[in-house]
Amino acid sequence: FQIRGVGPCSPLHLLNMSKQLETFKTHLEEFASKHKQEIRKSAQFRVQFQDMCATIGVDPLASGKGFWSEMLGVGDFYYELGVQIIEVCLALKHRNGGLITLEELHQRVLKGRGKFAQDVSQDDLTRAIKKLKSLGNGFSMIPVGGTYLVQSVPAELNMDHTVVLQLAEKKGFVTVSEIRSSLTWETERAKHVLEHLLKEGLAWLDTQAAGEPQYWLPALFSELYSRDVSPEEASQLMP
Amino acid sequence: MSFEWPWQYNFPPFFTLQPNADTRQKQLVAWCSLVLTYCRHHKIYTLDVMEAQESPIFNNKKIERKLPTEAVQIIFEELRKKGNLEWIDKNKSRCLIMWRRPEEWGKLIYQWVSKNGMTNSVFTLYELSNGDDTAKEEFHGLEEWMLLKSLQALQLEQKAEIIAFNDSKGVKFF
Repeated sequence: FQIRGVGPCSPLHLLNMSKQLETFKTHLEEFASKHKQEIRKSAQFRVQFQDMCATIGVDPLASGKGFWSEMLGVGDFYYELGVQIIEVCLALKHRNGGLITLEELHQRVLKGRGKFAQDVSQDDLTRAIKKLKSLGNGFSMIPVGGTYLVQSVPAELNMDHTVVLQLAEKKGFVTVSEIRSSLTWETERAKHVLEHLLKEGLAWLDTQAAGEPQYWLPALFSELYSRDVSPEEASQLMP
Repeated sequence: MSFEWPWQYNFPPFFTLQPNADTRQKQLVAWCSLVLTYCRHHKIYTLDVMEAQESPIFNNKKIERKLPTEAVQIIFEELRKKGNLEWIDKNKSRCLIMWRRPEEWGKLIYQWVSKNGMTNSVFTLYELSNGDDTAKEEFHGLEEWMLLKSLQALQLEQKAEIIAFNDSKGVKFF
């Protein structure tokens, strides 16, 4: 799809562009109605569709009403996904303090949707989370070791905290020495950050490790991934 | 069926008393739950504190972590406050573990009695805990002291009366 014609900014040029954009939009509408089913069913299709919208500067998730979400149900799809994400995060908050890896979130969302449900990709999750974030739900995504930690509770995490989380991602725990050597920080600064993580309920202290205390994050404890919330745990959730 | 450890059991910090109050609360709740479900699974009714400290409950050899004595005592105190534990001696070296409280056992027993239309019947304690009729019931095999406590709870609710025979005890249900 090319914009051809006369030189930039002349009235004729602008008129030409406007007409072509109009045509493009009509084509897109036809396309959308034809592929509405596919948009709901296929994660790959959704990615391509989103990319396409991006090239013409349209965000299908920008507003609740309007062509994109009503006609395509794209908005509905991400809205429902957002609700599911919130449910998963709430159910596990008591364990991990409101921090969860994108992998675990993905696994649990898929599980919750059942065998015959639509396929949901990590890209879908990321978009839904971005939407939640823009709605002010306290969500944010922290890049760590090639993936993301999804924060669902507005614990105040600044750059220092984030970078320590990234360091902890490798083994699931971190120590003062590791922070000092990897980030070349002073001990005080390292301790300050670790204290904050303990205070926010994101980290637990282990004093029986050889050498020095270790600070572990349940969110990064891989043994936890497939463990459902047991009936005992669930009953503890009730105040 | 083998015992399934909760996720916390293999989480090293679980064996360190947590400095953060909220986290410590969660930790204690999880420990209490673990002790009760472990005892329930293995049908353990009494615990010797020293032995318990060395047992798998508080000692995870796989991850080389052991819950310190101070923390073990805090957990036992929590259980006592919730009505799941009673000290046998003044030195607090042995305790009764009631993973089901007397009231809860009493309810189960009474349900069995009324379901089988046996109110107004008299039973010896032995019949209840070891009789053929109760073989399939959860309270079968219940230790006498626990059975007695349960019946005492029912007695308070006026659903039973404990009777003394020559050299044993019995109970009548209403």
